[in-house]
Amino acid sequence: MATETTTVSDSPESYEAAVERLEEIIDRLDSGQSGLRETLDLCREGRELVKYCAAELDEVGEGLKELRLDDLAARLEVGSEPS
Amino acid sequence: MDQAPVQKQVGTGLPGPYSVGRYAGKLQDWMRERARVQLIGEVTGVGRSKVQAYFELRDSDGAIPCAIWLNDLEKAGLGDGSLRDGAEVVISGGLDYYPGGGQASPNFCFRATHVRLAGEGDLIARLEALRKQLRSEGLFELQKQLHRPRLPKTIGVVTAETGAARRDLLAGLQRRGWGGQVIWGFAPVQDRHAAPAIGRAVQDLAARPEVEAIVVTRGGGSLADLWAFCDETLCRTVAMLRVPVVSAVGHERDKTLIDDVAAVACSTPTHAAEAAVPLDCLAARESLERCAVSLRRAGEGAIGTRSRHLGALARGPARALQRERAALNQKIREIRAAAERGLADRVASQTRKGSVVLERARKRAIGADMEKRRAALRRAEVALRAHEPERTLERGYALVEGVDEEPLTSAAAAAAAGEVKLRFADGRVRARVSGDGDGDDDRER
Repeated sequence: MATETTTVSDSPESYEAAVERLEEIIDRLDSGQSGLRETLDLCREGRELVKYCAAELDEVGEGLKELRLDDLAARLEVGSEPS
Repeated sequence: MDQAPVQKQVGTGLPGPYSVGRYAGKLQDWMRERARVQLIGEVTGVGRSKVQAYFELRDSDGAIPCAIWLNDLEKAGLGDGSLRDGAEVVISGGLDYYPGGGQASPNFCFRATHVRLAGEGDLIARLEALRKQLRSEGLFELQKQLHRPRLPKTIGVVTAETGAARRDLLAGLQRRGWGGQVIWGFAPVQDRHAAPAIGRAVQDLAARPEVEAIVVTRGGGSLADLWAFCDETLCRTVAMLRVPVVSAVGHERDKTLIDDVAAVACSTPTHAAEAAVPLDCLAARESLERCAVSLRRAGEGAIGTRSRHLGALARGPARALQRERAALNQKIREIRAAAERGLADRVASQTRKGSVVLERARKRAIGADMEKRRAALRRAEVALRAHEPERTLERGYALVEGVDEEPLTSAAAAAAAGEVKLRFADGRVRARVSGDGDGDDDRER
């Protein structure tokens, strides 16, 4: 019996790691070689990854925000830099 | 140097003391005997007197005071104002020393006898030397080994505040659908102040934890215009940063030193935007949608396919039984047919065998029986002949018959008949019975 790879990562370390894992999952599912339990686990993990990636994209999807380095430096000097 | 006719100083053990004027004169001679060379560098602090122009020639490693007689400057044929701060020039000359005098101050300088603006060739030669040096130190590889996030949320940008590069970079970022945070580190991008300012900006940006990539960019220009981006100190600074730097300085044909040490070198600010944010956010969203659809289908398909399979399996035993039954019936029909064919064959065979036996028996039986029958017949014929009435009649007896020639076997029958026929061996005669006596009497007589 082939070893089933159903590692579920709670939190991807980065967007690219999440996408890489997502592609692995899709490839595995497309191969048709995963059993029912593995398929369901992969689908669950994949959905979590899709949610994570969508959230990451949302973070850079609300419009460009511009700051000036000298302004930030000035705020830092007076200790009023927003977090 | 000639020994001064003075008393030897006790304590230091050094020669002298000498007359300073004579020492200065000897120093002037010694300097003027040094080899004449060409120097290249950036002009700063240009000033003029009635007879000469003076300035400093410097680069990132050092500087030297220079002077040129005005008539030599005129012979050089530079345009008005060409010898100005920030100009890259090549000067020819040698060391000189003015010993001064009773009222005049001494002065050391590189006495230029010729000056020209540095050409591309000069700058390229300097650039190649620097490039070779930095490459040999492995500084070209450090940035390229850094991880570049595909989707940074904050990027730093070093560029001129009013340049077109800023606008192009923003447009490139927005085309990718990226709407993260940009921290601008504005700096001059063309003069001798540019390189230090750019260096400070990249260091300040790299010090901010949220900055995941830094873009250094400016528009095109001559190599002299872009020379700040070939500054050795700036390039060493960039090479050592732990944040990836994307350079986009000048156009495609312009290759500055910062391009060599940066993680990625791009030909335009637009390309720099793509390198700083490798992920096309619009395409990524579409791809993510497709992934979500694939996952949904895979999940639903896995259950649907398997439930259909299970259904098929559940119906399997009945189908198998039906198949087995059909197969069995077929076998039975075949066996029957075979049996019938076999029985008929055996019957026919047995019949053929029986016929042959019977025929043989019949033939055998007929042969033996005929002999017996013939013998019996012969015996019966003999016996029969012995009992034939004709044989008795031949011996002289007569047979009494009625007129109807039926035998009359008693006297009473003959008396009752009245008329009889007597049958002899040679023929019959009629006779009449007379008398009414009974037979007992007659037989007694």
